Amino acid sequence: MNSMKTVAVIFGSRSAEHDVSIVTALASVIKPLELSGQYQVEAVYIAKDGRWFWDDKLKDISLYQSGEIDDFMRKAPDVHLSFKDGLTLVKSSQFAGRKQYKKVDIVFPATHGTYGEDGSLMGLLEMADVPYVGCGLSASTICMDKVLTKQVAASAGIASTPWIWCTSAEFSANPKTILDRIKPLKYPLFVKPAHLGSSIGISRVENAKELINALEVAAHYDDKIIIEQGVKNLIEVTLPIIGNDTPKVAYLERPMTSSEDFFDFDTKYMQGGEKGKGKSGGAKGAQGYSEIPAKLPKKLQSLAEEVGKQTYSALGCNGIARVDMLIDEKAGKVMLNEVNPLPGGLYAHNWSLAGTSNISLVEQLVQFAEARHQHRQKLATSFSTNYLKQF
Amino acid sequence: MLQSTEYQVRPYLAWFWRTNNFSRVMHRRTLVRTRAAVALLLVLRAGLFVSYITGAWLVIWGLQNSEVTLASLGVTAMVVTPLVLAHLVTLPLLVGRWFIVAPREYAKIRRSARLFASSNATKIAIAGSYGKTSMKEILLTVLAEGKNVAATPANKNVAISHAQFVEKLSGDEEVIIIEFGEGAPGDVVKFTRTTKPDIGVITGLAPAHLDRYKTLQRAGRDIFSLAEALKPSNVYVNHESEDLKKFVRHGYFLYGQDGVAGYRVSNVKNSIQGISFHLKKGTSVYRLHSSLLGEHHIGPLSVAVIIAEKLGLTKNQIEKGISLTKPFEHRMQPFLLNGAWIIDDTYNGNIDGIKAGLSLLKTLAAKRKIYVTPGLVDQARETKRIHHEMGQYIAAADPNQVVLIRNSVTNYILDGLKTANYQGKVTVEHDPLTYYQNLKHFVAAGDIVLLQNDWTDNYN
Repeated sequence: MNSMKTVAVIFGSRSAEHDVSIVTALASVIKPLELSGQYQVEAVYIAKDGRWFWDDKLKDISLYQSGEIDDFMRKAPDVHLSFKDGLTLVKSSQFAGRKQYKKVDIVFPATHGTYGEDGSLMGLLEMADVPYVGCGLSASTICMDKVLTKQVAASAGIASTPWIWCTSAEFSANPKTILDRIKPLKYPLFVKPAHLGSSIGISRVENAKELINALEVAAHYDDKIIIEQGVKNLIEVTLPIIGNDTPKVAYLERPMTSSEDFFDFDTKYMQGGEKGKGKSGGAKGAQGYSEIPAKLPKKLQSLAEEVGKQTYSALGCNGIARVDMLIDEKAGKVMLNEVNPLPGGLYAHNWSLAGTSNISLVEQLVQFAEARHQHRQKLATSFSTNYLKQF
Repeated sequence: MLQSTEYQVRPYLAWFWRTNNFSRVMHRRTLVRTRAAVALLLVLRAGLFVSYITGAWLVIWGLQNSEVTLASLGVTAMVVTPLVLAHLVTLPLLVGRWFIVAPREYAKIRRSARLFASSNATKIAIAGSYGKTSMKEILLTVLAEGKNVAATPANKNVAISHAQFVEKLSGDEEVIIIEFGEGAPGDVVKFTRTTKPDIGVITGLAPAHLDRYKTLQRAGRDIFSLAEALKPSNVYVNHESEDLKKFVRHGYFLYGQDGVAGYRVSNVKNSIQGISFHLKKGTSVYRLHSSLLGEHHIGPLSVAVIIAEKLGLTKNQIEKGISLTKPFEHRMQPFLLNGAWIIDDTYNGNIDGIKAGLSLLKTLAAKRKIYVTPGLVDQARETKRIHHEMGQYIAAADPNQVVLIRNSVTNYILDGLKTANYQGKVTVEHDPLTYYQNLKHFVAAGDIVLLQNDWTDNYN
């Protein structure tokens, strides 16, 4: 009898980071989970149009690279979900109308961006009452909204660079008002869609003329825009963190960009992070060329780790996240930039260098998911009243 | 698989009769379409075509004319054709070898004997069941600091390779290093007769090629025929190899981790970056560092120092030469993977080499130590004993995890581990290719992984 637990890895989805999600799922989640020999792994793919599929063939990267995925989706049956006693995947077996069922013990979301990492999927999994890896519904929602992230962090006393925000509708209706509100900020500015990850739609602007264009670009992608003031003497770092109540950090990682550069989508994923390369030594990570661990003064390093952990806890993160920070080297000041609730490739390259193998990383994440679920089971979610009897 | 066994009929047929599932023949390697391979494939396909056409014709004709015997013959012909062709394919190889290749090689080897004899270079021969290539590379690196040196390339170490090697020499070499790759009784005798060496280094004796030698005693006798052809003072023998001690005669120089020829070893420092030590006799001190891994390299490095000294190299040249020695491909070769140190010792195929690797693993500091091996091949009647011992040696090195690549010797190693009450984690992997390809997922910074030996598919 097969006693292995079943882990469903959900990836793809209606997101600009759909393709990044496929790579995260196949290379950094499914492969090590299977190699661990501890789990039966089910691949659940959400297509760009939102259809769900479940098949072992979906574990093969060549299916997506060759374009055969389109043919597969034409022929394959859709997947349905049953919430009876947790989560069960259901699909037609294509023979005599019989259906194939697979009860899922744990879900490993590997979706980036909208309809996945932003809390949508987590809400569904909460409804199904199934353990799942990573941040919960509220933390995911907060982390995926750069405005909410900064508001929550500020309430916990965590510093950020000066910033303002507006809705795309506000900008379209009255751009001058928005530009006036931005005026107190000093150039260079960074204009970002509030909800998108992987640096999509982000612009660095040096003057008012560029600013309008950047706001239009951001408004094209999102209904909420954040405008941040650039940091002087900048060192950009990122800190992968795992854990529930006791966050554990990997190495502080420094993307090898100069102050003039920043990682756009193309640099991060298409050029292997070559932009800005060559300034000093580093390692090629999942998302580019980085210095791991970042060479920082010990005091600054400790401070950054502390800010990272405080942010993780303040935002209610669980399982895994990555906290991006901006450091003013001369002022010795660490500021929160943003939080990624599901880092691309799980930032496994950094965890490996910090002493956690890919297999150990996914095993720990599954354990965190189970621990959180067990804890939540103890919480009362209903209580009896006489309310209905009054009617 | 014929190509994988270098077109040797005997191991190919042995593999053929051992194998139950022919669908995985090209699992780890794919056919390289050389002219010979393409020609053989063509012959095989033509044979299959003719056989099936004939078989089909016999079946149809037999059924139409109620000749059941002929129809059955047709079916039988079609069924047994692959089996017959698998054997017939060796025929052109045997004929070609006996009537074309062998006479040509014989002539070439005879000619090479004259070329070796006429050379004014100092000829150093290296023989032994293991450690030959390492010894050769160390000598080549060190002696090249002061001499014009040539050495047999890679693992080209049989008579015809020696002949091809000597033909390509320019004639102005001052030192020639020749590796003797024994495989069957009498090989070393023949190599010695042909190459006429001045100096001999015997690196060790361990069970290897026992399918041909049958006993270790016979292998030892063959290897020591090199020593018998030389002045004892020109023979260097690794005295750490237990099995060859009985062949040692008075006058040979014995080398090991304690030194050689009156030179004593001290100040040994061992790490993943290499080994450092002093070699001292009286007031003469060599301060040596090599990137080679493991204390078992101290002996060969010391021999290289002594031979270099004998051939007139200066102290500076010798120390520099030793500093230039570095790990050879797949022999105690360290590399970083995901922050972990992997020591690739997959060309190590003998129990003494296994012990040396385990000894290194034991001394190195690491957060987690992982030991990976499929075991050893060619151990003949000694297979069970050697792998049982191997399990015990592994347990003594005390890695955190042992990964065994599943094959016929796995249970013997497991028994050895059990006997030694090994407490670490044991994993048995069924597919070496998958394991090696995914090694990066298993390791992280702070880990040291020692990979020892690799079974090619023809041993499965």
